[in-house]
Amino acid sequence: MAAAAAAGGPPWRKVLYERQPFPDNYVDQRFLAELRKNVRARRYRYGAVAFQSGAVVQQLCSVCVFVLTWWYMAAGRLSPQRLFGAALASSLLGYVLFDAVDRGAGRRQSGRTRWADLKSTLVFAAFTYGFSPVLKTLTESISTDTIYAMSALMLLGHLIFFDYGANAAIVSSTLSLNMAIFASVCLASRLPRSLHTFVVVTFAMQIFALWPMLQKKLKARTPRCYIGVTVLFALVALAGLATISSVSAVLFASLLLAISCLCPYCLIRLQLLKDNIHGPWDEAEIKEDLSRFLM
Amino acid sequence: MVLKVFFPSCCASAESGILIGRWICEQNSAVILAVVHFPFIPAQVKQYLSEVQRVTKVSVSVLGSWSNSKQEKEESLSEFLKDLGTIFSHEPWIQISKEGDSKFWSCSTLQKHTSNPEEEEIIFVYYDQCKVMLSHLHPPLDTAASTDHKADDASKLSAIFDTVARSKVLFMTDRYDEGPIKLTHWQSDGVEASIIVELLKQASVPACMLLAFLLSLVSGICRSRVLKFWPLSFLWSKLSTCEQLGHRLQHLQVISSTKNAQNQTQLMRKANIFVSLLVDVALGVLLMSWLYRKNRIGHLADTLIPVADHVAEELQNLLQWLMGAPAGLKMNRALDQVLGRFFLYHIHLWISYIHLLSPFIEMILWYVGLSACLGLTVVLCILSDIIALLTFHIYCFYVYGARLYCLKIYGLSSLWRLFRGKKWNVLRQRVDSCSYDLDQLFIGTLLFTILLFLLPTTALYYLVFTLLRLLVVIVQGLIHLLVDLIDSLPLYSIILRLCRSYRLAAGVKFRVLEQQDGKPLRLLMQINPLSYGSVVQTYRLPTYSCYPKDSWSSLCKKLFLGELIYPWKHKGKKQ
Repeated sequence: MAAAAAAGGPPWRKVLYERQPFPDNYVDQRFLAELRKNVRARRYRYGAVAFQSGAVVQQLCSVCVFVLTWWYMAAGRLSPQRLFGAALASSLLGYVLFDAVDRGAGRRQSGRTRWADLKSTLVFAAFTYGFSPVLKTLTESISTDTIYAMSALMLLGHLIFFDYGANAAIVSSTLSLNMAIFASVCLASRLPRSLHTFVVVTFAMQIFALWPMLQKKLKARTPRCYIGVTVLFALVALAGLATISSVSAVLFASLLLAISCLCPYCLIRLQLLKDNIHGPWDEAEIKEDLSRFLM
Repeated sequence: MVLKVFFPSCCASAESGILIGRWICEQNSAVILAVVHFPFIPAQVKQYLSEVQRVTKVSVSVLGSWSNSKQEKEESLSEFLKDLGTIFSHEPWIQISKEGDSKFWSCSTLQKHTSNPEEEEIIFVYYDQCKVMLSHLHPPLDTAASTDHKADDASKLSAIFDTVARSKVLFMTDRYDEGPIKLTHWQSDGVEASIIVELLKQASVPACMLLAFLLSLVSGICRSRVLKFWPLSFLWSKLSTCEQLGHRLQHLQVISSTKNAQNQTQLMRKANIFVSLLVDVALGVLLMSWLYRKNRIGHLADTLIPVADHVAEELQNLLQWLMGAPAGLKMNRALDQVLGRFFLYHIHLWISYIHLLSPFIEMILWYVGLSACLGLTVVLCILSDIIALLTFHIYCFYVYGARLYCLKIYGLSSLWRLFRGKKWNVLRQRVDSCSYDLDQLFIGTLLFTILLFLLPTTALYYLVFTLLRLLVVIVQGLIHLLVDLIDSLPLYSIILRLCRSYRLAAGVKFRVLEQQDGKPLRLLMQINPLSYGSVVQTYRLPTYSCYPKDSWSSLCKKLFLGELIYPWKHKGKKQ
């Protein structure tokens, strides 16, 4: 066969619909010349990855701060009025900051008026206040262990389904928010009076729904400010955790460090071991716009 | 082919003469209806036969000759009989002769126009003319499954039965008539008649007319506009007594119609309705006489109030149990208390109402008991209505519990979809993803939590009241089943099958009689009566059915979702 090729006959072409003097499974020296490796592998930079991991750190700290607050209320160390006052002040601050960061561009774009904001605030405040007696007696007959397990599960689910900016199918911001609210209601129903319940549920709403919105905007507009806020938040959470138990504070600190420093390093190192091969055998992807075929 | 001669057993000892009957060409059989004796004038015989043919529409003709001689065969008689064949031309001409008291007859046929003069085989089939005339042949019930063979046999038999039944006018002349023709058949010794039957027949016409007039008055009143106003019409539709009375009124109208029954089925139905009504009224009057003796009505009324009190007390105990920790289940205390108190107050109202009515109960019962003379079925219907009335509060509780539970399930399923970030697309009838606003999410999740934790409490109340309601429904259903049974049972047909079984024929059976070589085969045809099961199935009267509306699986689904169930078709409950 090589003799036939060397004899100067027609060169081998990679087609099967023509009779050639070569066998069907013959390939010449251009075998696997079209193999490409790691065509779409991205080169990450350490700083950018660490910056993005700040979202995960933020959420972990949110959960931690919420549980801490609940713990203080349950132990009686924090009074509901004080918490309510603090939460109100910080949400007012955050509200002003939200508009000031991009100088009103986002608000103009979304078309949402301040009056609409005020209305929704009033609606859910009234609703929560009205239902707080019902919420308080909801889990009376269920044992404490069940409540703790359920809340832990729900908060874990909140962390899993949260929208960290990735484009995956598992992400569902609605589900994560709902799970967080469910967990907060479960926990809040264990507190002594209905005012506690109202305050805790409102606080949960602020920390799980409004805080991420502000952070997303900060991340987009002022990255340096964002890093500073993240670090501050983490320190606050650690300090609060340390007042309860130092072991858990140490563990939590190591977790945060692992997520923000260790994981990006691992990611970049593992990228070097990536070994994707591409070639003409891949499935065809239609890249052009097919809408011109629609009538 | 084999020639079959159907000979009536009553003519076996008749004197010599000619045979008249019907020749069924397709089956090669001759059905003999009577024997005409000597002396006769052939022209008069022919005229008589043509008259009979005109009236009965059966092609009766002279089939052959019959000679019953006590002595040896006479040559001259046989020649005479052969000559008769030329006068009454019939193909083939059958000659039967009996010698002395011998059981075995000889038969020969004369064929004038056949090419092959071979000997034909002849079979004698004896039949009881009276029974065959009165009998009614029922076709096989599974006509779809029967083969052609069976259908052929059935039609052959029905031709024979038909012939005899329709020739009734032939059997009206007996030997005391002064006509030119002397016949022998089953009634020739004297036409059977009964004075009572004749009197009843004469009396029934004016009685029917009177009854029809009264019924038209009653139905006119019932249809009047006064009774059609909304609350009253709703009440009539809910009471089962009114339905039963309407049904019986319809029956009476059928009986009292002055038109004669067209065919056998209609006649049997009229008779069944009449007997059923009679039995019903008799049982009702019996019950009434038992009730009104020794002041039993008073005793009944006296026990009614304590029974209602007892039921209410049991319900109160049940509610107290539910308000505690029933079966160790964890209930939400606040909701529990609310629901329990609400139902207790309801019971309290009900008991006060019953006590208010207690002085009048005896009088009401006394008058209601009078309606037992309308029939036992009416009494049973009234009983079922009284049960419905006494357990009205259970029905109310069931409706409240079911509505609450249904609302909760509906809300929960919708909010569960919101929890996952999805929505029901009504246009496409599927679940789609949806981006909700923040406040919608928040309030939705709160409500979901509340409904979820309150579910066990509501579900328990719903379960308890549904079970109670089902119990009451089962009891009412049993009573109505009994009423249906009495309504639809064809008593007249069953009694007929018991006493005169030959009148309802499913078929025939043949018994082989003694044989002798050289003589034709003799068979005895006996009527095979219908089995009791097929009698009931064929003749049962139609009723307003009360069959379950839902299959088991859809019933379970409705119970699970909390939809209200109305298990019986056409059956309602009091408002």
